[in-house]
Amino acid sequence: MASVPTTEFARIAAGIEADNTTDDPRFRAPLVTGNKDFAAVTATVAGVAERPAPPKAWYVAMGVSLSLLGLLGAMIGYLFLTGVGVWGNNQPVGWGFGIVNFVFWVGIGHAGTLISAILYLFRQNWRTGINRMAEAMTIFAVCCAGLFPGIHVGRPWLAYWLFPIPNQMTLWPQFRSPLLWDVFAVGTYATVSLLFWYVGMIPDIATFRDRSKNRIKQVVYGLLALGWNGSSRHWHRYERAYLMLAALATPLVLSVHSVVSFDFAVSQIPGWHTTVFPPYFVAGAIFGGFAMVICLAVPARALFGLKDIITMRHMDNMAKITLATSMMVGYAYMTEFFVAAYSGNSHEAFTFHNRALGPYCWSWCMMTFCNVVAPQLLWSKKVRTNMLLLWIVAMFGNAGMWFERFEIIITSLTRDFLPSSWHAFWPTWVDLCTLAGSFGLFMTLFLLFCRYLPTVAIAEIKTVMPQAHAHAHELHGEDAKRTDYRPDEHMDPDRDAPRLKNR
Amino acid sequence: MKHHSAQREYWRSLAHLADTPAVRAAAEKEFASYEPEEMLAMPGLTRRRFMKLMSASMALAGMTLTGCRRWPQEKLAPYTSNPPNRTSGVPEQYATVMEINGVGSPLLVTSFDGRPIKIEGNPSHPYSQTVANRAGASDAIAQASILEIYDPDRSRAVINRAGATQVASDWDRLSNWMSATIDSLTTNQGQGLAILGESTSSLTTARLKAAVVKRFPKAAFFEYEPLSRDNEIAGAKLALGRPARQVAHLNKAMVLALLDADPLGTHPAHVHYAFEWASNRPNARRQMSRVYAIESAMTISGSVADCRLGVRPSRIGAILSALAARLGAGGMDVTLAPEEEAFIKHLLSDIADNRGKSLVLVGPQHGPALHALALAINEKIGAIGSTLTFVEEPDGDRASHFDSIADLTNKLKARQIDTLVILGGNPAYDSPADLDFASAMKSAATSIHLSLYDNETSHAALWHVPRAHFLEAWGDCRAWDGTVSICQPLIEPLYGGKTPDQVLAFLAEEPETQSDAIVRKTFAEMDDAAWRRALNEGLIANSGFKEVSGQVSFHAAELYPAVQGYEVRFLQDSKLYDGRFATSGWLQEIPDPLSKIVWDNAALISKKDADSLGVGIGDVLQITVGNSSVKIAAFVLPGQPAGVIGLALGYGRTLGEHIGSDVGVNTYALRSSGAMFFAPAQVSKTGDYYELATTQDHHLIDQLGIEMRQKEIGEKYKSAEVIHEMTFEEWKKVKGAPERTVPLQLYEPPQDEFSGAHAWGMSIDLSKCIGCHACVAACQAENNIPIVGKDQVLKNRQMHWIRIDRYFKGEADDPNPEVVFQPVACQHCENAPCEQVCPVGATVHDTEGLNVMVYNRCVGTRYCSNNCPYKVRRFNYLDWHSQDPRHDKYPKPYLNLPDQQQLETVPKVKQMMFNPEVTVRMRGVMEKCTFCIQRIHNTTISKRAQSEKLNDGDIMTACQQACPTQAIVFGDLRDGKSKVSRSHNDPRAYGLLDEALATQPRNKYLAKVSNPVEA
Repeated sequence: MASVPTTEFARIAAGIEADNTTDDPRFRAPLVTGNKDFAAVTATVAGVAERPAPPKAWYVAMGVSLSLLGLLGAMIGYLFLTGVGVWGNNQPVGWGFGIVNFVFWVGIGHAGTLISAILYLFRQNWRTGINRMAEAMTIFAVCCAGLFPGIHVGRPWLAYWLFPIPNQMTLWPQFRSPLLWDVFAVGTYATVSLLFWYVGMIPDIATFRDRSKNRIKQVVYGLLALGWNGSSRHWHRYERAYLMLAALATPLVLSVHSVVSFDFAVSQIPGWHTTVFPPYFVAGAIFGGFAMVICLAVPARALFGLKDIITMRHMDNMAKITLATSMMVGYAYMTEFFVAAYSGNSHEAFTFHNRALGPYCWSWCMMTFCNVVAPQLLWSKKVRTNMLLLWIVAMFGNAGMWFERFEIIITSLTRDFLPSSWHAFWPTWVDLCTLAGSFGLFMTLFLLFCRYLPTVAIAEIKTVMPQAHAHAHELHGEDAKRTDYRPDEHMDPDRDAPRLKNR
Repeated sequence: MKHHSAQREYWRSLAHLADTPAVRAAAEKEFASYEPEEMLAMPGLTRRRFMKLMSASMALAGMTLTGCRRWPQEKLAPYTSNPPNRTSGVPEQYATVMEINGVGSPLLVTSFDGRPIKIEGNPSHPYSQTVANRAGASDAIAQASILEIYDPDRSRAVINRAGATQVASDWDRLSNWMSATIDSLTTNQGQGLAILGESTSSLTTARLKAAVVKRFPKAAFFEYEPLSRDNEIAGAKLALGRPARQVAHLNKAMVLALLDADPLGTHPAHVHYAFEWASNRPNARRQMSRVYAIESAMTISGSVADCRLGVRPSRIGAILSALAARLGAGGMDVTLAPEEEAFIKHLLSDIADNRGKSLVLVGPQHGPALHALALAINEKIGAIGSTLTFVEEPDGDRASHFDSIADLTNKLKARQIDTLVILGGNPAYDSPADLDFASAMKSAATSIHLSLYDNETSHAALWHVPRAHFLEAWGDCRAWDGTVSICQPLIEPLYGGKTPDQVLAFLAEEPETQSDAIVRKTFAEMDDAAWRRALNEGLIANSGFKEVSGQVSFHAAELYPAVQGYEVRFLQDSKLYDGRFATSGWLQEIPDPLSKIVWDNAALISKKDADSLGVGIGDVLQITVGNSSVKIAAFVLPGQPAGVIGLALGYGRTLGEHIGSDVGVNTYALRSSGAMFFAPAQVSKTGDYYELATTQDHHLIDQLGIEMRQKEIGEKYKSAEVIHEMTFEEWKKVKGAPERTVPLQLYEPPQDEFSGAHAWGMSIDLSKCIGCHACVAACQAENNIPIVGKDQVLKNRQMHWIRIDRYFKGEADDPNPEVVFQPVACQHCENAPCEQVCPVGATVHDTEGLNVMVYNRCVGTRYCSNNCPYKVRRFNYLDWHSQDPRHDKYPKPYLNLPDQQQLETVPKVKQMMFNPEVTVRMRGVMEKCTFCIQRIHNTTISKRAQSEKLNDGDIMTACQQACPTQAIVFGDLRDGKSKVSRSHNDPRAYGLLDEALATQPRNKYLAKVSNPVEA
């Protein structure tokens, strides 16, 4: 081989952090870089939880997150004790930040389920680096999301009436209401996602259990591992369960946010009452979710030394999906405008004029720029592989998705049918603190996850490493230890002749 | 139990098998695990103690468990024997009367368990009846009197302010002091005694005044009203040679010319005038009146006029002179501005076609000469005797109010007054600014102020004496035409207040001290039967003023010099009157009909002036009249005449108690003798900004919004969605019943959906609504609707279940835009968008068509409000009843826990105001118009119990009952002959947004018919 590694393969063999983002059809890019074998992978991932103390940055982040979480608690307490009036909601804007935040968080969760379930069914092996983290993000996002419908109601101590629990009043909830469909959709989503995430984690938790030195950790991980013993029977059941849960979770990616979009589509307010909402919201959700995953993955991989597992290829792929969904969202925006203009309905046309040119045009500009314009940077590979730029674009995506929900919900409510009822909406400090606090809840849970649970799906990622490939069994001796083996390696006698001769 | 030792096959235990005597004994025990006798034999445990312990533990459980319950504990104590003539829980109604500025508004008050809770007009009295003997209308001020009597801020004790100290005093000390004062006054025949009163038509007060004069011949009487109508009286005196009162008969007028007159809004008889005016809009013979309004302000009458012109006040004289000359009534013709010429050209031709059916009215702010001129015109056009008659003006030869207060002030400053008795009113606040009455008062050695509130005048007086509210006192007064009504109380004075009559009786040393005896004595010639009949009906038949007739002689009017630059026009506030109702939270929060401002007044300016000054809504202007100036926020009001700044009186009070203090700007500071209605002014921009709260159009609507709004209010019938309107000519041609929209449904609606015995519906005639807001106040009183305060209205969280939308039509800078008022309450849609989206089913439909709101099921997701296209649903964002509405002045965080609040935090006296038949809602719950379901059910249930038929008009919603023009009609759509059925089948009828959304509202609007001049 040349002294200066020129081919990607050579660079990998030489142990330099490689750019595995190329798509050379001759060589499938490795998904785990850095010459890792199975033991190294386990050590890297488990090391995040096992190191005596997490990195300082974790403490700093945790401090900030816990304060924000405390702020959230205080704001919720104030809200319950005083009333919804502490928010900026008014007549006609009955839904303000509470529902904007709800839709925002629930949308973010969809990316995780897409990565975990849909990409699994599509056999996209690269998902294994990020699926655990993404699925965790989903769970925590759904936690944040589920908080808001509970607290935004006028009498939150009676929010349980939305659940179909048999009661002495012999009353069922009213099933024609989309808010009730939300209860079922989000409830199902939370349940299935939690199950999927947990079941998927069992082998990895067992790994943690087996590696724990601390008695408490052994007990806790042991309980959580449900007696996993790594036998083929367990593996078989695991694979079956995983497949079924993936199949269950797949439709949820599309249905949950569609049902959430029904909150708006089923009402009759101009700007809400449109059939494009379910696909529009789902596309937006996936876009926002991937943006959030990128935002979490970029610092997490740097901080916890996971760069070889969550590789450039992973980031590149996620960026591509982000770009694709951003274009879908852009297309949805254009569809909305076209339909409003073409419909001849003056209320509908006015609503879109109002969004772009009325008093909230600044939020429309934010939304359009962040969701449609900024992600176009991701066409450039340089941007996709530059972690800082990627992170910035992803942050724009997050902000843009929040503004999109703000735009949809608030502008349609401020100006609907009767001009005499038009009124603006402005958030109060409680609104803003609650929003910030919800990020605190999310980040607290996520940081705890990073520290105490397997951040990467160890078992799954091993299946996409070359050592897992069937051909690996054919190699004996040193070859068995080859880390540069590519699954589809086509043996080139000229190049590999010395080795072949050794066999 | 028997045991078969030999045949037993199955056994429970070895012991059982063994079947020893011990086992048998054990098996025979009743309680296997213990011996009851043993337990009861425990030391100290007797049966009695056992019962004690059991009951104590149950009581303990009761205590703690009740602590867990959410409902506050209430104690119910039913009567063991009913008080006579009353069944508790059944409301009763009593007739009474409310006097403002000497004119009585006849009322019928509902009393529940011995306290008044709702006010209506008196259906038997011609000045308030809208359906003879069935319905009586009122206005917002009368409706808000319920809040006034139960106002916790009302003064409850006599206060003595000697020097700087203030001492809560008591009645004994006061009467001792008064007796001593009277003794000293008697010695010098009342020299130095001055009594200042409000304008009153009370016969009792007149009798007592005479008695006081008899006792103290040198005593002086003064009378002052800040919004005096003396110009009318003086004008009649000029024209007829004697003072007289003009009684208009608007039902006979087919052409009505209003020159700065506002008979529908600010006239003392506006309830009756509005009713009469509405009868020709159009009338049963398919005729329609045409109303011309030339005015220097934007008034209700001008808003609903067919032709309106906004002019400077100085032009009214010129226009009247031109009219008089051209009609041949006398005087010299005057050249008018082109738009004025164009305007009166049509007026003249209409008057020519309607001799004897026309009427010209001039507002009370113009001088007597203009009134005399108008009377001359009226005589020439044949109005006198048909559309206008004269009656005696009681005490018409007295000094005018403004002269009277000036005279009193001079006497005070000259130290000729030792004892000043002020009966009601607030002259320290509302007297002409140049007089400085508050400090003049201090020159009197002693002064007493009898007042409902410890206000500005009370603070300047030595003694403050709480006054009895009209709902808790006896009195009498006369309606505009003179019909006498007795004011009878509904409840004992809550704080032992006294009436002005009682004070006068005390001064005159009359033997009677109780107010009922005092009033009865005035009508001593009536026998008891007649007296009881008068009390029952609310009027004394045939007691009106005598008609006066005379020849109207012509007087030329002096024309005001034209004012260059700005002039201010002082306006009677539509809600606070002259400021006396500033303490009423309801009235503060009811929006001004045209500007929609609440909790404030503003400088109303035209768009042209705003542009030249470079100000927008909220920019603070400095307005200087003479030597005084005020800073007040500007409000651009379409239709405000250029060059005229409208300033509402009654704001900026410093001692208006909790509600009324520091609300708005005191414009009385600019009002001086000689310029009490208009004054030239300098106006400049200060550069400050002040946030004005409005219930509609808060924040300047941008151009885009204006364009959208234009689309909603169409030019031609049926082209718009919100307001349908047509001209009289078009109306004459329109035929056929309106089509019923049928929505496309996914599901078949259930067959029994509207199978109830009745189908309730409502119609609102846009031609008749004048925007007076009586319905809003009535609804608030009937349904326990809270007020929220200015800072919450800034967030548009006001709770009115019915609101009156006001739309201007025309370009933004149109000087005379058309105005439409549209009352909007819950439309009770048959295909209700709110019902479909409530996740807990808190809003459902009953079989009679009402959309029913179930407060105790509502969790407050607010989806129903979002989905309602009419935005009639109101959400309790905070505990409004417990919240302080003056958050803008006294901000404080509010952290009380739910469920316990209203009983504990709402003052007990204010709790008396609630209508017990309507739930008082807690926070977090949605509420909206229920078509007064409590009234519906009360009547249907009692009719059913009596096996009587329910007739049209038996059930009236609060808004319908209060409306003076009967624009609101409610009834049973199943009854084909009911008024509401006829309205729904009227070709003018349309459902608001019904074509677009197919909500199938049960509330239909009748398109506005206007009668403009064909161009």
